[in-house]
Amino acid sequence: MVQDADMTDATAVTAQKDDSIPSADIKSETPSLPPLQASALRLERLLGGPKGASASSNAESNYTNPVKVIRRWLSTSSGAAADATAQDIQAAAMVLLDPNGVCANGRACLLGNNNVSTMVDTNMEVEAATGSSSAPAYLHVAAREVESWLISLAVRLLWKEKNYTQAFEMCQRGIAIIMAHLEDASNKITSVSAPLASSLFPFLARLYRLRALTTEAIKDPALNANLRVEMARAHNMASLRRDVDTQATLLNCMLRDLMEDSQVEQAQKLLSNATFPEVASNNQLCRYLYYSGRIQALRLEYTLSFSNLSQCLRKAPSNTGMGFRIAAQRLLIVVQLLMGEIPERHVFFTKGMKAELFPYLSITQAVRQGDLAVFHKVVTEQADRLRMDGTYTLISRLAHQVVKAGLRNLHVSYSRLSLQEVADRLGLPSKSSAEYVVAKAVRDGVLDATIHHEEGYMQSHDLVDVYATKEPTEAFHRRIAYCLTTHNDAVRGMRYPPDAYKKQLEASRNRRKRDDKSDEEKAQEIEEELDEDY
Amino acid sequence: MSSISSLLQQLESFVKAGNIDQSKQSLNNLKVALLHGGTSDESAYALELGVLISVMEGDLQAFARNMAQLQPLYKSGVSTPRKALVTGLNLMHLLVDNRLAEFHAQLELLTDLEASDPLTSFPIALERKLMVGIYDEVGQIPDPSYQLFMDHLLQTVRDSIADCLEVAYQELPLGDAANLLKFGSKQELLDYVAAEREDWIMEPDKITFAPPPAAHAASDIPSMEWIHQSLTYATEMERII
Repeated sequence: MVQDADMTDATAVTAQKDDSIPSADIKSETPSLPPLQASALRLERLLGGPKGASASSNAESNYTNPVKVIRRWLSTSSGAAADATAQDIQAAAMVLLDPNGVCANGRACLLGNNNVSTMVDTNMEVEAATGSSSAPAYLHVAAREVESWLISLAVRLLWKEKNYTQAFEMCQRGIAIIMAHLEDASNKITSVSAPLASSLFPFLARLYRLRALTTEAIKDPALNANLRVEMARAHNMASLRRDVDTQATLLNCMLRDLMEDSQVEQAQKLLSNATFPEVASNNQLCRYLYYSGRIQALRLEYTLSFSNLSQCLRKAPSNTGMGFRIAAQRLLIVVQLLMGEIPERHVFFTKGMKAELFPYLSITQAVRQGDLAVFHKVVTEQADRLRMDGTYTLISRLAHQVVKAGLRNLHVSYSRLSLQEVADRLGLPSKSSAEYVVAKAVRDGVLDATIHHEEGYMQSHDLVDVYATKEPTEAFHRRIAYCLTTHNDAVRGMRYPPDAYKKQLEASRNRRKRDDKSDEEKAQEIEEELDEDY
Repeated sequence: MSSISSLLQQLESFVKAGNIDQSKQSLNNLKVALLHGGTSDESAYALELGVLISVMEGDLQAFARNMAQLQPLYKSGVSTPRKALVTGLNLMHLLVDNRLAEFHAQLELLTDLEASDPLTSFPIALERKLMVGIYDEVGQIPDPSYQLFMDHLLQTVRDSIADCLEVAYQELPLGDAANLLKFGSKQELLDYVAAEREDWIMEPDKITFAPPPAAHAASDIPSMEWIHQSLTYATEMERII
């Protein structure tokens, strides 16, 4: 996996690395390596860098999927990445990327944004402060990955500073650079560098996502339209290349784009035509579930939407992403209301979400009361808030549910009730409309009643014993099926460490030796018992 | 070759006069002219007039075709004075066809301003009332071109009301039944019942609805299904243990 051509340079790098590592240890005199550079060097090691340093890890890296290595490394280095400033990135670029090597484009791109003179100044300071670590420790194996990583960090910084046009430019260039690398690698398919190309995939996915974020902020409809075509093509390429990360990220970006534009039909077509790769990361899966849940809710497929959204909430990370969870929870509440179920009270009081979910609490209470007039009042009060959340259209469909809930209440509490009363309590316009509504409710199976037209009242039937029907069986069956599928999924998802079976074998062998004896003892005991019985 | 705008004006005058054949002719000429160049505004105008013509004719397929051609134009931002009318007509069409998913998808695309326009708010309010079940208050239609859909709708609504009546009432006097079903006279009611609802027992002054079959026969128990379910449980438990 290691490039043969770099053998000669490897020793030089090892020498320099050895210099830099002691400098990291001597904390009192010289400060340790800037975190970005430290992470980058770690990646170099992980990908089987200098031959001398880690021979054993080389053997492993031959069998490890480079994408997995990158993913794990990304998660460990995210701490360093979060604190990086523009200067840090440029310093790292200057130090780590070889201007004459593979990453010339990326380096130029990263350094070209500010004046080179100021760069040199800061570099001088860095040099003065950190002695030997300023000597360029050009990366060889991990060069392209670190280059893409630094570009993605720079873009994110620019995005945070709201410098959207620049961020977009950089993103486009970054994507072009990575695509060039991948082209390169696929051309040299027989050379040793080819397998490493797949390690660029997570970075490609990141850049696409950052680009989608920046275009959203720029808000140019023509740009959106162009990008949509490009994203579709890139998605195609990613599926062909089995690039799971990019495929998943692009699918989510496209769905988000279409939803922002309120194009539900198109989003639905995309959803039905594209499959989401099973092995993509959990976060992408969460996003995908959220978007599919939202599309289904808008298309009146409430049960599907409900299961997707509950799964999404379950899989969402619990320590970050509060905003995402609030949005998902909001949608879940609305879908529950649309299905006719009242969400539990404690859902509204989850930590951190109380203020956000408060309008939904009042709406739920109105629905539960079953009074249409109250419901309309609450909705008009909260209209602006709902529009901002994007749930206004969904909530407006709830009138039906309000009536159902109200009717159910009346049905349970009264055995006979005049239609005029029904109209008043439900906030319906008139007695005749109440008659129609009750008739429809009976047809829909909401209540079991008969209307006596001349006398003008409705009479409820006695409640049928539920256990006499097959409903409990079906309810039980649904739950059992769900538990069994979860169990099977869990069993399939378990991973054992490779030596675990040895330990088990040892343990069982020991146990058997002991058991042999105890078997005899047991046999004796049983005989004694039998004797006693007699 | 007369210019596009003059063709447009000609078409509009035909449509206003209600002259269907000539308007269709004119529309075809206009479409050919537009192929050779014309702004999207003009295409939108032409297609909208096409929509109105198909409504006048009662040709729902032509209506759907013209709408399909209009949608991309609207999406790209073209806005004409008739947009609200045509959008409202489209909503009515979807509602009558009971394509509720597409109805709601279209709703998403409307901005608030457009949704408050009486031409579009009419179908929206109508849909809400129909969901709830208030069939009697239909209100004034905002434009004569909606009449086509209202007629279809009345038919569908009548069928649903009849279904509800079957289940909710045990018996009903004829006069009241005619009112509830929105018939003008008892004779219409009798015709309808004779044509569609043969299981209603007609008596001189009232209708009795046959009670739904309440037999709980042995064939009601879905035995095969339950056997299948129990077997699945057994195999799964076996696997666990």
